[in-house]
Amino acid sequence: MSEDVSCLKAQLEEKEREIAALKNKLSLLEKSQTLVLDLHDKVTPLTPLRAKHALSNEDIMRYSRQLLLPDLGVRGQLNLSKTSVLIVGCGGLGCPLAQYLAAAGIGRLGLLDYDEVELSNLHRQVLHGEENQGQAKALSAANAVRRLNSTVECVPYHLQLSPENALQLIQQYDIVADCSDNVPTRYLVSDACVLSGKPLVSASALRMDGQLTVYNYRGGPCYRCLYPAPPPPETVTNCSDGGVLGVVPGIMGCFQALEVIKIASGQGSSFGQQLLMFDAQDARFRSIKLRPRQAGCAVCGEEPSVTQLVDYEAFCGSAATDKCQRLHLLSRDQRITAQDYKSILDDAGPHLLLDVRPLVEVDICHLPFSLNIPLSSLEERKSEHLQLLRERVGQLKRQMAGGGRPPVYVICKQGNDSQKAVQLLEKMSGSELDHVTVKDISGGLMAWARTVDPTFPQY
Amino acid sequence: CNCCCPGVCVLYFARSAELTGLKEEQLVAVPTELSSRDLWGLLLQRHPRLSLLQDHVVLAIRQQFVAIGDQLVSLGDGDEVAVVPPLSGG
Ligand SMILES: [Zn+2]
Repeated sequence: MSEDVSCLKAQLEEKEREIAALKNKLSLLEKSQTLVLDLHDKVTPLTPLRAKHALSNEDIMRYSRQLLLPDLGVRGQLNLSKTSVLIVGCGGLGCPLAQYLAAAGIGRLGLLDYDEVELSNLHRQVLHGEENQGQAKALSAANAVRRLNSTVECVPYHLQLSPENALQLIQQYDIVADCSDNVPTRYLVSDACVLSGKPLVSASALRMDGQLTVYNYRGGPCYRCLYPAPPPPETVTNCSDGGVLGVVPGIMGCFQALEVIKIASGQGSSFGQQLLMFDAQDARFRSIKLRPRQAGCAVCGEEPSVTQLVDYEAFCGSAATDKCQRLHLLSRDQRITAQDYKSILDDAGPHLLLDVRPLVEVDICHLPFSLNIPLSSLEERKSEHLQLLRERVGQLKRQMAGGGRPPVYVICKQGNDSQKAVQLLEKMSGSELDHVTVKDISGGLMAWARTVDPTFPQY
Repeated sequence: CNCCCPGVCVLYFARSAELTGLKEEQLVAVPTELSSRDLWGLLLQRHPRLSLLQDHVVLAIRQQFVAIGDQLVSLGDGDEVAVVPPLSGG
């Protein structure tokens, strides 16, 4: 009898535990459903951020380790909760920046990005996961930030910042962070911040280098004060071409978070007239003292010529993206498609395939029968490389019984450098080199991977 | 600067290090007073490829920004010159 009782009691307890677990699961699910984020595809007016007058017990516990800092304290924490920050770009800089701002208890985060998450982003854009591939970066970042701190208000924007929407958007935020990946956007964000009087915490990173400055802040310069004219587009290297070690933007994004927190909490930034440079290779930091705002500056000067936003893609001569932009340097008869080249291979016609990518990229993947001479070696007329090319062209000429100009096909990753190389080789043909017929393989190895050999790696 | 010999130490950052193939170098027998334009010209003479950065580069002497122009700058042993092209990636 007593055994039956204790057995039933145990069963009852078991059921009660199950019910409690189910209730808990249900409440979590209900909570997450009310938190579904609304992805904005245009700029709309936001409700003003509600000012907190005191910290809740939960706030005190969550932020206790930073509340203990005399530099921050309760006052600083309340200031953070009243501040809205717009993050332009949710990539390698924007991810760690958003993460630390949310963790620290910033009031509102605007997360802007026009791109979707790709596998090649994940080594540096650490808020996104494998399951987010194909999702809007702004939404993926907002969801990740939400998991970290649900009390931070997140506004994800899946849109391209433009002269038409930038002012309306930036006016709604207290601080702007430039985490973008291209020159036109950097000028656009800076001009918009000058015109709406917002401090701009700006960072950038490429390969093993990083930079940080706070523009338009307490009498300091704006981006145009420092760089009045944009660089010629062909001299600009972006992350998809030049590469970047993920932790480098990580470090710079964390630096941005630090400066945003200092401005938002009321401590003030130390980088208003400083340019910080980080050399990751030598672990070397250098800080350059900049001049104050320039009286002659086109946008923040005494007599500005830029009083409204302009066309920044035209101003910079490049598109507002870090995606590879296709050059059109050659005529149609100077180019062949990857499939055309495949038929030449199949017909076993004698030719030379010249791969003009840097050695580091050839190590990633290459076609086994190609000769590698980087474009830079051709441009610099490196003698050992020119000698090698002359020998191979000579061999080819001897192979071609019927005479004629030996055909040289030039390939690179996406078909831009190869066009430059074709132009160069045509100049050299008949002078520095035997007469050759040079053609570009349009779209490069990536076109080869897409249209001829799907097993060939893409990068 | 890590170099310890006399002269002016020039540090090359980002693209300027790629174009010169150097992260730093020692310049000896630099005039003690010259215009910042002449200083830039001197660097161009040593590394013609730096001309790609013309008008889009920050030059700093003793960690202070210097506009490239007629402004006279003084240089002495152990002074540091930094060449800093902007980065735009993120
Ligand atoms: Zn300015």
